[in-house]
Amino acid sequence: MHPFDRRSFLKSVSAAAGASILSVAPARAAAPKARVVVVGGGFGGATAAKYLRLLDPGIEVTLIERGKLYTSCPLSNEVISGERSIKTLQSGYGGLAARGVKVVHDEVTQIDPVKKVVSTAAAGDFPYDALVMAPGVDFDYSAVGGLSAELAETRLPHAWKAGPQTLLLQKQLQAMPDGGRFIIAVPKGPFRCPPGPYERAAQVAMYCKHHGKKKAKILILDANDGFSKRPLFEQAWKALYGYGEGGMIEWVSGVNGGQVEQVDVSGMSVMTTFEQHKGDVINIIPPHRAGKIARDAGLANFKGAWCAVKPESMESTAHKDIYVVGDSCVGGELATGNPFPKSAHMANSQAKVVVASLVAKLNGLPPPVPIYTNSCYSVVGHDWGFSVVALFRVENNQWVYVKDGSGISPVTFGTKEKPVPVPRIYRKMEAEYADGWLRNLMADCYA
Amino acid sequence: MRNTLLALILAGRAGTAAARGNIEVLARTCNSCHGVGGVSAGATMPSIGGLPRDYLSNIMKQWKYDERSAITMNRIVKGLSNDEIDALAAYFAQQPWVPVPQKANPETLARGKTEVDNNCADCHGASGGDPDVDAPPLNGQWARYMELELQKYQSKEFKMPHRKMRKAAQQAKPADASAAARHFGAQGR
Ligand SMILES: Cc1cc2nc3c(=O)[nH]c(=O)nc-3n(C[C@H](O)[C@H](O)[C@H](O)COP(=O)(O)OP(=O)(O)OC[C@H]3O[C@@H](n4cnc5c(N)ncnc54)[C@H](O)[C@@H]3O)c2cc1C
Ligand code: HEC
Ligand code: HEC
Repeated sequence: MHPFDRRSFLKSVSAAAGASILSVAPARAAAPKARVVVVGGGFGGATAAKYLRLLDPGIEVTLIERGKLYTSCPLSNEVISGERSIKTLQSGYGGLAARGVKVVHDEVTQIDPVKKVVSTAAAGDFPYDALVMAPGVDFDYSAVGGLSAELAETRLPHAWKAGPQTLLLQKQLQAMPDGGRFIIAVPKGPFRCPPGPYERAAQVAMYCKHHGKKKAKILILDANDGFSKRPLFEQAWKALYGYGEGGMIEWVSGVNGGQVEQVDVSGMSVMTTFEQHKGDVINIIPPHRAGKIARDAGLANFKGAWCAVKPESMESTAHKDIYVVGDSCVGGELATGNPFPKSAHMANSQAKVVVASLVAKLNGLPPPVPIYTNSCYSVVGHDWGFSVVALFRVENNQWVYVKDGSGISPVTFGTKEKPVPVPRIYRKMEAEYADGWLRNLMADCYA
Repeated sequence: MRNTLLALILAGRAGTAAARGNIEVLARTCNSCHGVGGVSAGATMPSIGGLPRDYLSNIMKQWKYDERSAITMNRIVKGLSNDEIDALAAYFAQQPWVPVPQKANPETLARGKTEVDNNCADCHGASGGDPDVDAPPLNGQWARYMELELQKYQSKEFKMPHRKMRKAAQQAKPADASAAARHFGAQGR
């Protein structure tokens, strides 16, 4: 029997099936079984910290996060349109602390994967037996000439990290005149929340439609040639706001000159490969890469931008005993164009895989069979929503995208030859489920 | 001898623990929409912990084989084997049913109680907590979730296979059905 005592093992295996794998704490309050440090308290990091404590209270868990209040990006587009208060998207870290997670609010400054130590700006060093990295993404402002982190805070909010910028963008939208133009610049993928920019376009259009700005235009300048849930978005845009020629929403693909290369904040215009566009509001989402601290730690071994991990455990392929979850990592069935989407649910799911594998390992139990799931709801009108779900399994140490078990909401009913529209009630209900989904997701990570 | 026996028992239990570990891994994927232990934290999503095993496996298979309409679940269950569905059903059936406390205005509750007493209590019990074998508990299930389910029963756009439940829902006025849902929801204290 491995590093824990037999009695608690017997107790735990015979515990009711509802209990966690190892719900029994070690008999003595002796040294912890293992010290796990989690860097980043977003969806991924929070889930890892919570479930480690839930599954094995013998593990000491320290979560290091710079912010005291987390704001969910999911459904934050509804804040921009004024449909939702930002408060409904926020959580502190009290729930995790109550579960015995040691929450440290500080900036992580360095990771030494050899000595296995995490350093912070003020709180000192944290040695670890295992490290979970979940620092999210960093924005590459240099990719767009004239853009900077400072401008994003003041004049050109990307609002791709929910918080003050979300509220700034909301104010800019409110101040936009009727007939004004709202530009959304989408970077080359991968970026987090693949359907996010298109959901945002719909939310902005909804605001304009109902707030005396019926002549407004939303121009999506896209570096890519296609997008997530496209048929569903185009259908909804057409039906609700008008899309394309003469409509409220217009989408310019990469091949048609959608890639924004330069921004001129004094003239409020952007330059694409082909031409100049003036905008009353300019919302440039900069290209992404793994969070800086992950790159500095030498974890970003995939195209120099993303952290490659092992399918069975999410352990980094660069450093032993470091697990990377959430937006920073890369995984999925890459060969067929089915990577893990960078989403909150995915981060949550990846973190659960890490925890299951780590807890088994630390307790000398056989590795569990990993399973990865995703879901993401988009709300495009008061009563119009749709979603995508995805399922990944691991076979022969490879991720397999499971087509049955994945997919978007139906675009049409009926047959291929004779399609009929999906009844409105389906879209209506899905908008309602989006809210329940977010509440559960937040609770699953933070409560 | 005793030691070998113990070792055997342990090995057997470790095997069971592994199998159970795997079903728990799978069940944990449901938590992000249905809550830890299947106790939902969002009004539109149902709690599923403590629902009857046969009910659970039955409706998941109906979704899988397109015998029942859904907005989201039909896509999710298509990726699961029947064995996984049965194991999930057994797992969630073993969780306690946790009624969620919910408020509603007295008028709605009165109207709901009348509707339930007249048209629903036979199969669900007056509080929703004493259901027929083929029905789930409704006491303290999220009211908004139940309203949406009742709309599915009342709409012609959804395939809802349980004939008698469908009939009961279609005979109710929408406002009465909704009040009944509020009444059941408010039984969680
Ligand atoms: C507009 C928008 C809409 C979205 N909608 C959806 C949706 O509908 N559904 C969905 O599933 N996903 C959605 N997403 C995506 C989702 O927000 C991300 O995929 C998710 O946040 C990823 O979680 P994470 O834990 O990897 O990173 P994050 O949530 O970004 O968390 C990372 C955390 O690490 C901390 N951190 C980083 N570096 C350090 C350091 N050095 N020291 C201390 N702390 C540090 C940060 O402060 C942050 O709190 C949306 C995103 C956007 C922008
Ligand atoms: C993305 C969110 C999401 C996930 C993940 C999810 N569900 Fe659901 N579930 C729903 C929604 C929405 C409904 C309402 C039915 C529908 O889809 O229209 C539902 C309904 C149900 C119901 C019906 C409850 C009742 O009272 O009749 C069951 C049972 C269920 N889900 C089981 C599961 C199981 C088991 C899992 C994990 C394998 C799971 N769900 C994962 C969203 C989800
Ligand atoms: C003849 C018995 C019967 C009557 C009468 C009846 N129900 Fe039901 N109800 C059921 C059964 C059985 C189910 C499960 C159906 C299934 O498996 O699809 C159900 C399901 C439901 C559900 C969905 C629960 C869930 O978790 O998804 C709701 C809500 C509900 N009933 C409400 C009502 C209301 C309100 C009334 C009265 C207007 C009513 N029922 C009358 C038998 C009945």
